[in-house]
Order: sequence, then structure tokens, then C-alpha cells
Amino acid sequence: MWDVSLSVNSGEIVAIIGANGSGKSTLLNTISGLMHPAQGSIEFAGNDISVLEPFHIVDLGIALLPEGGRIFPDLTVLENLKIGSYNRKARSESSHNLQRVYQLFPVLKTKEAQLAKTLSGGEKQMLALGRSLMSDPKLILLDEMSLGLAPLLVNDLYRALREIRERGLTILFVEQNVRRSLTEADRAYIMETGRIVLSGNVDDLREEEKVKKAYFGT
Amino acid sequence: MSLLSDLATPIVMGILLGGLYSIIALGLSLVFGVVKEINIAHGDLVILGSYFGFVALTIVGIDPILSLIIGIPLFFGIGFAIQKYLLNRAFRISMDATLIIAFGISIILQNTFQLVWTPLSRGLTTSYALASFSAGPIYVPLVYLLDLIVAILVMFFLRELLRRTYMGIAIRSAAQDRMAAQLMGINTNRVYALTFGISTALAAVAGVFLGLTFPFTPVSGMSFLIIALGVVVLGGLGSIAGTLVAGIAFGLAQTLGGYFFGVAAQMLVAYTMVLVVLAVIPRGIFGR
Amino acid sequence: MKVTMPRLHKGLTPLIGVIVVLALFPVIGVPRLWLLYLFLFFIYLVLANMWNLLAGYSGLISLCPAAFIGLAGYTMAILTWFGWPYYIGIILGSIVAALFAVLISVPAFRMKGIYFAIGTLVVPEILRYVFTIWAPVGKPVYGGGAGYTVKDVSGVSQAQIYWLALAVAIASVLVMRYILRSKFGSGLAAIRDNDITAASAGVNVFNLKLYSFVISAFVTGLAGAIFYTFQGYIEPVSAFSVRWLIVIMLATVIGGEGTEEGPIAGTIIVVFLYFLLARYAEISLIIQGIILVAIMLLAPQGIMGFIRKTLS
Repeated sequence: MWDVSLSVNSGEIVAIIGANGSGKSTLLNTISGLMHPAQGSIEFAGNDISVLEPFHIVDLGIALLPEGGRIFPDLTVLENLKIGSYNRKARSESSHNLQRVYQLFPVLKTKEAQLAKTLSGGEKQMLALGRSLMSDPKLILLDEMSLGLAPLLVNDLYRALREIRERGLTILFVEQNVRRSLTEADRAYIMETGRIVLSGNVDDLREEEKVKKAYFGT
Repeated sequence: MSLLSDLATPIVMGILLGGLYSIIALGLSLVFGVVKEINIAHGDLVILGSYFGFVALTIVGIDPILSLIIGIPLFFGIGFAIQKYLLNRAFRISMDATLIIAFGISIILQNTFQLVWTPLSRGLTTSYALASFSAGPIYVPLVYLLDLIVAILVMFFLRELLRRTYMGIAIRSAAQDRMAAQLMGINTNRVYALTFGISTALAAVAGVFLGLTFPFTPVSGMSFLIIALGVVVLGGLGSIAGTLVAGIAFGLAQTLGGYFFGVAAQMLVAYTMVLVVLAVIPRGIFGR
Repeated sequence: MKVTMPRLHKGLTPLIGVIVVLALFPVIGVPRLWLLYLFLFFIYLVLANMWNLLAGYSGLISLCPAAFIGLAGYTMAILTWFGWPYYIGIILGSIVAALFAVLISVPAFRMKGIYFAIGTLVVPEILRYVFTIWAPVGKPVYGGGAGYTVKDVSGVSQAQIYWLALAVAIASVLVMRYILRSKFGSGLAAIRDNDITAASAGVNVFNLKLYSFVISAFVTGLAGAIFYTFQGYIEPVSAFSVRWLIVIMLATVIGGEGTEEGPIAGTIIVVFLYFLLARYAEISLIIQGIILVAIMLLAPQGIMGFIRKTLS
């Protein structure tokens, strides 16, 4: 990644749009601490988090839903959710948050005792999202949440996202699907080969010639 | 019928011995499954446990099993430190590095034993260590029965630990997907250290019961390591039940091998089984 | 197969000078202790080179050099009981070691990665056990086999064995040089980095690993048999002992795995270390263990790696 400069304000939904290899995942991985920037800084709630370990960053209130979800296959649904609230602050709220996750995704409650690997693709992603919410984050990062899923399921997931936003969470998501991104987000950044090439309000972006030509065709 | 009653003792002994082998292998399996390291110093850590029991018995004068009250936390601390300060660093260098460092630790342990306690064979000779019981045609030393009982107790305890506590679930999740575990707020390096600590505490228990069952020398660690390796691979990573079953399989192989081929050959049978297992089963029967 | 050895010519003269001087030592009356340490240096150098061939270049961490050392040694010793001269015994012993390598490669190469290391760990133990209970010749000692003296070697001068060891040491360096500059060597380097990529690039992974393993076994056997000719007797505990592995690992790690000069530098240091620690027999091994751990943590690339880093 070369030249990236972005900001997200509390309560916003921001999208990062770009094709494969544009550096979107790298960006999220860096924010969540899995990678560290060679130059520059990342600031969250007034603190520089660019040198922190991932577990630290989770403690501070950032959750990453990685590409593919990466639920723990040999743990039960309940155990997956439970481990989401591993960090100290979230533990006390654990049962409360669990109920809220079940409200969002009732199917998870019915499959509570099943091993996560037995779930369908869509259910796994719901579990992954639910698990991320268990850590009581202030900011949630979503890496290609809808990848490989049927449109109906994707609708469910984004519906849940809107509900979460109502509760005050800030959301930063990465998507290849431009249309979906511009519908769900407030603002968006467009990345190409490691650089941010365009940014702004979604309404403005929709009118941009570049966006219309380059992306609405695909 | 006579063959059956002749076989009864070696079969029962084999099953009970399997209990000991499975406790020895349990720590190794845990570390292999979670941290993905083969701790070739594990056998020597078990013997360290045996010597610990020896010191407790001969110098302090308390029963070795009782001494585990101190032994378990002590060994947990030792294991935690080894992983935290030595092996976690080795990870960043290479996989081979962890093997070589474990080897180094093994050498240090073995030769420290030699220095402090001489190459003489030792045993934990408590009052009950020589007792035996018989039931019909079966004649079995009491400690063998203790070995199996303790094995089952320890495994039950470990299973509950891994299932019911946050730490237990964290350990299991780190074993399945390290990166995802980190994203849950888990400090995986610390989890690895805790796991190694538990493994070494298990080694202490195994060592004390080993000392009660067999005589041991500074270099005994190697033989038990080899069998433990066979048990771990046969039983499958991540399966506590599998470790018990595999342990019993090896126990039986040894006692029945001794029965059919003579006492001198029993270790040979066990070792050959280890080689066969390693060549044939990369994943283990019960493993994922 | 095209082999180019450009560097050989540059350093050749001083190198030949060193070799000539070393060869003259027994003749010019150098103290016996020196000869002993040099002898050990030659033997250990061969072992380190051969281990480096496997671990540093073929991606095979073999924990069973003792198996080949002991087998070759025992073959040689037992043959002397049948009246065979020691030098035939040395060759045949090495062949036995190589054949054994072929034998265990069948199951061993099925074991991937770390399992291979574990598998090779078991082998010397098994052999030690076998030779403790099995007496192929002579009267069974209490407990079965146990040790053998090497017969008919009292007439052989120390100098002769010294030169033999020197010759094999030089040979091991040349073998490494030759292999590493050949197509064989680049195939090995590919395997070391990644088995699967190498295979898809057309490298016959199994064959190359087998050749490495067998060559290593043969030459390691040579060193072992020569060692036991010198020592005059062999017994199972030390023949198949893990101590061989300790000295080999120490030399390779200190010198630098995966480099050509590493084993040479490492062996020099290890022998020097043995010289220093000679009077502290008991803690000597403990210190060696500590050094192994320390080097691995602080300077994992060894001396050659350190030199390369500072030069670049």
C-alpha cells in the first residue's frame, strides 16, 4: 500500500471499494493490528494504535470480521460467540450481548450446540458477524462480508448492519460490489493498486463520471 | 482356556500401563495440537518430575503424590517460562529453530540429572509402590492401577478445563485458527505459554507416577518420549479420548510383545509400532 | 551436467599449503594431543558437512546420524573378528549404512516435515537396543551383545588413521562443493524452499532426497567406521548415542546452516570448545546445551550468516 489517508467519524458507515489486489484487505488488516505500517500512523479515539498488537486493539474497541469469516470450525456456535467476548470489558456484558446477537440472527440460537463447521455458508457469516459483535466494539471492520453469498443472505446481513448502526456502532466495510456499497454507506473511498483515488459522499460519487464508467458496467 | 488366563495378566497390565503412557503423552499432545511444536524435551521434563518426586520422598520425606501440590504449580511456572522466553522467540526464527532449542533443553536437562543424581537408576519406593493385588488369574502391581485411575481423572479435569473456562476455549480457538483468535482479543503468545505450562504440569504428574511404576535414570526420558510420540500420532491431535486409547494400544503392544517374544523384546515391539504409526498415519485415527 | 568451480582456483594455493602441513604433523613429531584433536576435527567435519547436506540443503532434519555411525562401526568391528582387514571393513560398513538409509527411506520419506524428524529420532534408539541384546559374534556378554573390540588394529599406526581421516574430511568438503554447484544442488535448494513448488517445476523430489540421504549416510558411515578403528572398541550406548547429534548440531548451528563454509567454521569452534571444556567433563554437556539454545536465539544464522550480514 502506498498512499492512504482516510478518516471515519463516529456513527458513520464508510465503504472502501476496489477490485482484487487494490489493497483493501491490507488496509483493514493494518488497522486491526495484524500488520504494522512502515510509515504513518493510525489514530483511534485519540490514541495512536499503529504499533499495537491485535489483541490490544480489540480491547480498545475495534473488531475485524476477516475475509471468509474464519469462524472456529471445531467449536460450537455458542462457544464461537462466547469467545468473541473474551476481552475483559466485554465479559461482563457477555450474556446481554449474546441475547442481542440472537435477536439479530435467530437461526444461531436454534443451532447453538452444533459445531460451527456444520453451518451453511450464510450461517457461518452470520456467526462471524455475531462473534465480532460480542466484543462490544465501537468500530467494526468488515472484509468482504458478502463474498460468495446469495443475494437474499446478503440482504439479511446488511439489514443486521443497519440495526447495529442504530445502536451507535461505527462501520467500515470493504466491498467489491459498488452498487451495494453506495447504497449502504454514507461515504466511500475508492482504492486502486494501493492508493485511494476517489472519495466523498455516496451521492456525489454516484454522479462521478469515472465511477459510472468504470464500475457500473461490471 | 489356559491361554486366555495366561494372557489375562499381560492384557490387564497392558491396559493399566497404557494409562501411564497416556498421561505422559497428554502434555505432548496438547502442545503439538495448540502450539504446533514437537517438544522433544517433553520426555526429560517428565523425568524431571520423577526426580522432583524423588527429592520429595528422600530428602523432604513426603509422599511424592502429595508433593504434586507444590509440583504442579512449580512445573506450570517452568513450562510457562520456557515457552514465553525461549520457544516463542524461536517461532519467529523458524520451525526448525524450535526443534533445535527443544533439543538443547533436553541436553541441558539430561546432563543436569546426570550431574546431580548420578547415572544410577532411581525409583520412588513408597510403601505402596511394591504392593500388588490379584483377582483370579490376574496379578497386578497396585501402582499400575493407580496409573490408569489418575490418567482418567487428569483427562477428565483437562477436558472440563478446555470446555468450561474462557481460557480453555481460547486455547482451543488458538489451536484452530491463530489469526482469528488474535482478532478475538486473545494474546496468542500468552496462550501458548499457558498451554506449555499446563503441558509441563502434566509432565510433573506423569513423572511422579512413572517413578512409582518404573525405575528411571537420567536418560530414561528418550524412551518415554518415543512412545509418547507414537501415542500422540496414533491418538490424533486434539483428541483426549484418542490419547487414552492410543496409550492403551501401546501398553498392550508392550506387554503382549513381552509375553510372546520375551521380556527383552518388549521395548522393541513398542518402538517398531511407533515407526509404523509414524509412517502410516500422518493425521491420527481420532484427529481432525 | 555442467560443473563450474571458479572459486576453487583462487583460494587453492593456501588451502593446499594447509593440507600439506596438516598431513605432515604426525611425521614431524607434533604432540599426540594435537593429533587427537585434529583427528576429531576431521571426523566431526565430515559429520557436520553431511548433516548440512540434509538439513541445510535438502530440507531434511535428520536426527539419526548416530544410526549410520554405529552401523558402519559395528560392521567394521564385526568383520575384523572374521579376519577382514579394517580398511575393507570401513568401506563395507559405509555400504551397510547406505543400504540401511535406503531401507528406512521407504517409510521415512512418507513422513512429512516434522514427522520425519521424529521418525529419525527413533531409529538410533532401536539400533542401540538391538545391539545391546544381539551378539552376532563371540561369546554373548552378560545381557546379550554389548561391546566389541576391534581386532588386528594394534599394528596400525595412529598416523595412518589420521591420514585416512584427513582424506575423508577433504573428500567431504569436495563432495559438498561438487554437489552444490551441480544441477543436483539446485534441485536440492528448490526442495529446501518448498517441496511442492519444486515438484511442479519438474524436480524429482523423492529421488533427490533419496540421493542426499544415501550419500550422507555413506560418508557419515565412513567417518564413523574410521573413528571406531581409531578407538579400538565399540559399544552400543555410545555408538548410537545422542551425543553425536549434539556435536553435529552445535557445529552446524554455530557455523551457519545452509552455507558451505559454515560446518568448517563451526567444527573448528566446537573442537576448540571441547579442548577448553576437557577438564569439566560433567558440566561440559550442560554448557554445550546452553550454547546451542543461546546461539539459536541470538545468532540463528551462525557465524557465516553473521559475516555475510556485516559484509553486505
